[in-house]
Amino acid sequence: MEYVEEKKVVDDIKSVFKEVDCIIKRERRVEVKLPKEKLLEFALRMQTNWDFPHLSAISCVDWIDDGEFELVYHFWSYNRKVLVSASIRIPREENAHFETLSHLWQPAKFFERDIHEMFGITFDGNDDMSKFILEEWDGPPPMRKDFVTREYALSFYHFREYHPEWMKDLEGAGEK
Amino acid sequence: MAEVKERRVYDLFIGPNHPGIEGNYSMQLTLEGDKIVKAKTQGGFLHRGFEKLMEERLFIQNIAIVCRICVPDPDPNEENYARAVEEIAGIEVPIRAKYIRTLVLELSRIASHLFTFGGHAGTIGLYTMPNWSIADRDRILDLFEELTGARVYHIYIMPGGVRRDFPAGFKKHVMEVMDYIESRIPYYDDLLFDNAILYKRAKGIGKMSLEDAIKWGVTGPNLRACGLAADVRKDDPYEAYPYLDFEIPTRTEGDALARLLVRRAELIQSISIVRQVIENIPEGPVWNKIPNPLKWKVPAGSAYVRCESSKGEYAYYMVSDGGRKPYRVHVRGASVTHGVHVLENLLVGSRIEDASQIMFSLDACPPEIDR
Repeated sequence: MEYVEEKKVVDDIKSVFKEVDCIIKRERRVEVKLPKEKLLEFALRMQTNWDFPHLSAISCVDWIDDGEFELVYHFWSYNRKVLVSASIRIPREENAHFETLSHLWQPAKFFERDIHEMFGITFDGNDDMSKFILEEWDGPPPMRKDFVTREYALSFYHFREYHPEWMKDLEGAGEK
Repeated sequence: MAEVKERRVYDLFIGPNHPGIEGNYSMQLTLEGDKIVKAKTQGGFLHRGFEKLMEERLFIQNIAIVCRICVPDPDPNEENYARAVEEIAGIEVPIRAKYIRTLVLELSRIASHLFTFGGHAGTIGLYTMPNWSIADRDRILDLFEELTGARVYHIYIMPGGVRRDFPAGFKKHVMEVMDYIESRIPYYDDLLFDNAILYKRAKGIGKMSLEDAIKWGVTGPNLRACGLAADVRKDDPYEAYPYLDFEIPTRTEGDALARLLVRRAELIQSISIVRQVIENIPEGPVWNKIPNPLKWKVPAGSAYVRCESSKGEYAYYMVSDGGRKPYRVHVRGASVTHGVHVLENLLVGSRIEDASQIMFSLDACPPEIDR
């Protein structure tokens, strides 16, 4: 495999951000690991200089053991046909926050709102951080790894006592 | 909430249960007379917490979950999920399985487009079209039942290939159904696509320029209706699409009519793709054995896979930490842009009677947004 366009994209990135970790993962996939201060400048260059008009998604990963949140920005170029996944890490705090990209890409506004709802990361500068899905929820952000669905369900809901005759033999035979 | 001054402006709630809404979704419209001055979408009625649930299930168990994310077009989920696992674990897929996956995806696209034709026609009062197109969609579901055993949620595409090979006589049945669907297109034309009512109602409605569409993150048929021939099947090829010959239909108007006509042209292309698959499918195995799925540990890594669903770009971001369960699965539904801010932007300035039509013309699918 030649990876012509992918190499050009990596060269573009390396020409400005010399220190960053930038690899060709496979055909049409480039991965960049950035320090969090560099993201805004990187995104600006992606949009204006390097012809990446489409922000496909923003993914959030909760690395609880490292005490960090990873935010992965997926940029796609219609002309160059390469997808760049740029990831940054921010400290995993109760009130974690990061800067917004919603002034550059309109889809980012909803992506960030979704992450705010599910992971509790506030994006400074995004004017719509209202709830979308979990309107009547005031518990912890549910997609964080320290929120365990089963534990929450057992502590929150009460199970009805139900022990009919026919179930006597079956009870306790399943999960041990 | 809008300011109520001299009773000129008022709020109207459409949904979550409304025939003019695709799925369970809600639009809060601020109206001045019958003109929409502000629109706010509200979702969450179909939130089932699948992303969280997937973190607590084995890789093999999730196959039964992912297809439920999008009801009218479930197969892109299965295909994307399987391909993400394959990319992380480094599994090769047999060429025959790639062709079968392509067939399933295209059948799913036809079924979904037929659904949308019916829905769109319903919003402008042509109620015969939904009856016809949904009855014809049933023929596709019959094919799915024959191939996979299930009509809507197939749980058929799995890491390493597909679950089973074609049953006896399946190729012939596919060809018969494709001939049937193709023979129905003139009837659809008479009823909907050449109908003066459609042109009166849909022309110039929900219009967006190509610059706006790119800025708003529009993908799929909605973007192609604005004039950009962008299609994941061509730009970022997967499965058997590189071996098949098909075109990307585009239009330049960018309105509701153009979006509907692009879908009609795509239906014809999809029929052609299905025929090519049936004619060219190679012999061979359909599944490369994966390790014991109950003990299978997928190596650490991440993958971002994309495919072209009937609604636009569908993508999965999967992270594995080397365990038996995925560490994180992020589903990027195609409607996540179309159903929220694109819809909000297009509704402003249009009239109340077109609100449903704009939503259906974007083919926004709420279960993808809520997950």
